[in-house]
Amino acid sequence: MKQAKTLLQLKKLTKRFADKTVLNNIDLTVTQGEILAILGPNGAGKTTLISAMLGLTAADSGDIYLLGQLQQGTGRSSALRAQLGVMLQIGSLSANLTVAEQCDLFASYYPAGYSAPELVTLAGLNTEAGQRFGRLSGGQKQRLLFALALAGKPDLLFLDEPTLGMDVEARRKLWQRIDQLRQQGTSIVLTTHYLEEAEQLADRIMVLHQGKFIASGSPGELKALTRYKLVQCCSALNDAALLALPGVLQLSRQQDVVTLHSSHVEQTVLALLSRDNTVSQLEVRQVALEQAFLQLTASSAEHSNTLGEQAA
Amino acid sequence: MSTLTIYQKEAWYDLISVWRTPGFVLPALTFPVVFYLFFGVLFSPSGAAGHAAYMLVTYSCFGIMGPAMFNFAMNIASDRAQGWLTLKRLSPMPVSAYLLAKMITSLVFALLIIVLLFSIAATVGEVRLYHSQWLSLALIMLLGTLPFALIGLLLGLTLTDKAAPGVVNLLYLPMAFLSGLWLPIHLLPQFLQQLAWLWPSYHLSQLGLKLLARDQGYPLELHLLILVLTTAVLTILSLLIFRRFAGVK
Repeated sequence: MKQAKTLLQLKKLTKRFADKTVLNNIDLTVTQGEILAILGPNGAGKTTLISAMLGLTAADSGDIYLLGQLQQGTGRSSALRAQLGVMLQIGSLSANLTVAEQCDLFASYYPAGYSAPELVTLAGLNTEAGQRFGRLSGGQKQRLLFALALAGKPDLLFLDEPTLGMDVEARRKLWQRIDQLRQQGTSIVLTTHYLEEAEQLADRIMVLHQGKFIASGSPGELKALTRYKLVQCCSALNDAALLALPGVLQLSRQQDVVTLHSSHVEQTVLALLSRDNTVSQLEVRQVALEQAFLQLTASSAEHSNTLGEQAA
Repeated sequence: MSTLTIYQKEAWYDLISVWRTPGFVLPALTFPVVFYLFFGVLFSPSGAAGHAAYMLVTYSCFGIMGPAMFNFAMNIASDRAQGWLTLKRLSPMPVSAYLLAKMITSLVFALLIIVLLFSIAATVGEVRLYHSQWLSLALIMLLGTLPFALIGLLLGLTLTDKAAPGVVNLLYLPMAFLSGLWLPIHLLPQFLQQLAWLWPSYHLSQLGLKLLARDQGYPLELHLLILVLTTAVLTILSLLIFRRFAGVK
């Protein structure tokens, strides 16, 4: 079997700002035709990671391979830049140039890429071709920036929070475009803080938290991890009885208030109420994504510890 | 498409983009023209023969400085702030195309101002010069935009987009006055005349005035040397900052 080509590889990438470690020993690989989503809350280090890969900021240590070539410091060769596509969070074009003019300019940068009219069509802005960038709506601007990122028919595409500020329909359309690109064999690295977006698009999701990857896997694998909810209440039942309720995985108690982690919240609540009619202050909550992953990694560490002890 | 096409398009679109900014075009073109009309032509001090010719040189110098400094400083600062420059740096566009485009825009504006001022001088101002003098003066002023473009580049790379216009004005207007561009340099107090040596605009205007034999009488080579050295230092500084900032290979 032929092994898929590796387009991007990071080895032990570390970046510090003053005394804060923003990226901590990041390892990552993207193969041909793969879509990798880097998922994380604001401030997790997603943008710094993209900046380091693109050579906008220098990493303190670690190796970056882009299209098989080891990169040094900041800046990327022009031959390499011709094969990359980039859409950044802050990317505003000259407000005084029209859509058609911007596309003409960008098309000239990429001899092997799309023509200017093709870019206008890609952006879906044919009727707005004569409008200046400054007069476009937020969603139209994003579409143009996305089209310009594709100007060179890139092998590797970087999308930093591509749907930020888009409405639901615009977001769905962009997702369709990204899916088409995947089918054409484009490799994509995208950052997002929407779990839903990562699930929809990615072959693989890596969860970044405080500069470290705390979980990674296929969307299905990660979704399973976040499926459980929290049931909080005051109950007369003891811990053993509560843990015996259907769906309950874990329990924590603070004085009278007990919090149950449940994989099947409806069944848990139903059983709880049938077994204890004194239940009060009942509340069902979604586990915050970040918290879910943190708990998950924490519990998996505990789990392996107990296994270790048993083995010993 | 060749690399040449990138340079052409970059230059063309930079020019169009600037041309569509009335806040830049109007002051850049009208201020030197209005000032020259008032203080060079209409209100000529009585009996000062050749006043209009003298002021033509100094206001040409004043006129070319503005667009060069403002175009570089303000547009680079705002391209940086809006992420436009970052996007371009990540594209295969050679960074020299970006800088050359800005230089060409500055030169186009310099040429427009020179044509406007020369026309006023030759008609209303009744300035009579040899063809070679007109031509040399125009060439000196066009070449003279370079140090000011570099000053603008330095400011554009280091200032925020909000601070850039104010700082350029703070530099531009006093520098013009202290170089004797508004009032002939010999009318300024002695210590200000000595201070004038600091400014490239003083040396540039002295080069122009030499053509009319109206300069302060220092050697041509001295002014040229200072201008070349200033330009060289500014170039090295800008390159260092640009490298560090852009990291473009």
